[in-house]
Amino acid sequence: MNAADAAAIGAAPEGRSRRRALIVGIIAAVALALGIAAAFLHRGGADAVRNGSAVLKLVLPDTNGQQQALAQWRGKVVVVNFWATWCAPCREEMPEFVATQARDGAKGVQFVGIAVDDPDKVRAFVKELKLNYPALIGGFGAIELSRTLGNDLAALPFTIVLDRQGRVAHTQLGPLRQAKLDALLGRLL
Amino acid sequence: MRWLVPLFSLLFATAHAEGISSLAPKLLPPEQAFRLSARAVDPNTIEARFDVADGYYLYRDRMHFSTEPVPAANAVLPPGKPKHDAFFGDVETYRGEVVVRVPLVKTAAGQKITLHADSQGCADVGVCYPPNPQQLTLVVPAAGDKPGAFVEPGGKGWFK
Repeated sequence: MNAADAAAIGAAPEGRSRRRALIVGIIAAVALALGIAAAFLHRGGADAVRNGSAVLKLVLPDTNGQQQALAQWRGKVVVVNFWATWCAPCREEMPEFVATQARDGAKGVQFVGIAVDDPDKVRAFVKELKLNYPALIGGFGAIELSRTLGNDLAALPFTIVLDRQGRVAHTQLGPLRQAKLDALLGRLL
Repeated sequence: MRWLVPLFSLLFATAHAEGISSLAPKLLPPEQAFRLSARAVDPNTIEARFDVADGYYLYRDRMHFSTEPVPAANAVLPPGKPKHDAFFGDVETYRGEVVVRVPLVKTAAGQKITLHADSQGCADVGVCYPPNPQQLTLVVPAAGDKPGAFVEPGGKGWFK
């Protein structure tokens, strides 16, 4: 190796190390960004698990007065729909839920209706609609729970979709359209 | 390092989309969607009003009024707009301004009357609010006096 070669080698590492420093910098920045994003996601994930657990801890009477624990459907994709007979938009979307329960029930979907309503009216509507999933009677405790899930105004319909791990995958105030529901179920089933 | 901005934005957008924050449409709280006020017009009459915001409506048959300590006769509800409901049949709804007369019996001038007003309504975007019991206090004017001022509910509603 002569002096010229040495100089050439000496010059090259200088350029290479600058490039290496840049690459290290990029990797560090990406890692930082991912870390921050992961922290955000993790926090959301923890809330999702906690809130999902709160939903699955509910025990409410059905239209026959039998207490039903939502935990019995753990492991399924549980679609919890808060509704009432006095809520026309709620009643309008329920036939789609009935059809979806019939179509995807065997694949592991379980719809659960929680009515913020009088049991007699719920029974009449359940019969008229031939509801093929449980209609539970939720008091204002149930609607209060929905507030903790983002339903600040305690308005209806309000629907929570839990994944098989019991995490909140989606919350919806107002009608949950079939296309949206199908996209969610396609991802979660 | 300017390239970091879109990267962060993308990551944060992903975090936001995956989050479970409320996806609620911009809805008014019920006391703003359905603004209640009332006044004592004379010793025998309370006038209650609901100012219903655009895009919202109240159900006529879910509106109820009562008074304390003296009773009220049946409130005189104006006719609403007929609406066919698949489950309840023909119902009537109110939009805009609704003026209701609540006849009082056996009042005395200067007496404080508490008006209880129950209402329930929905937004056209496809959301309904739970029944909303509200109350406000009015002072009965003497016979021949001017009607009292309009009063709105205090901070005792469910949503405050």
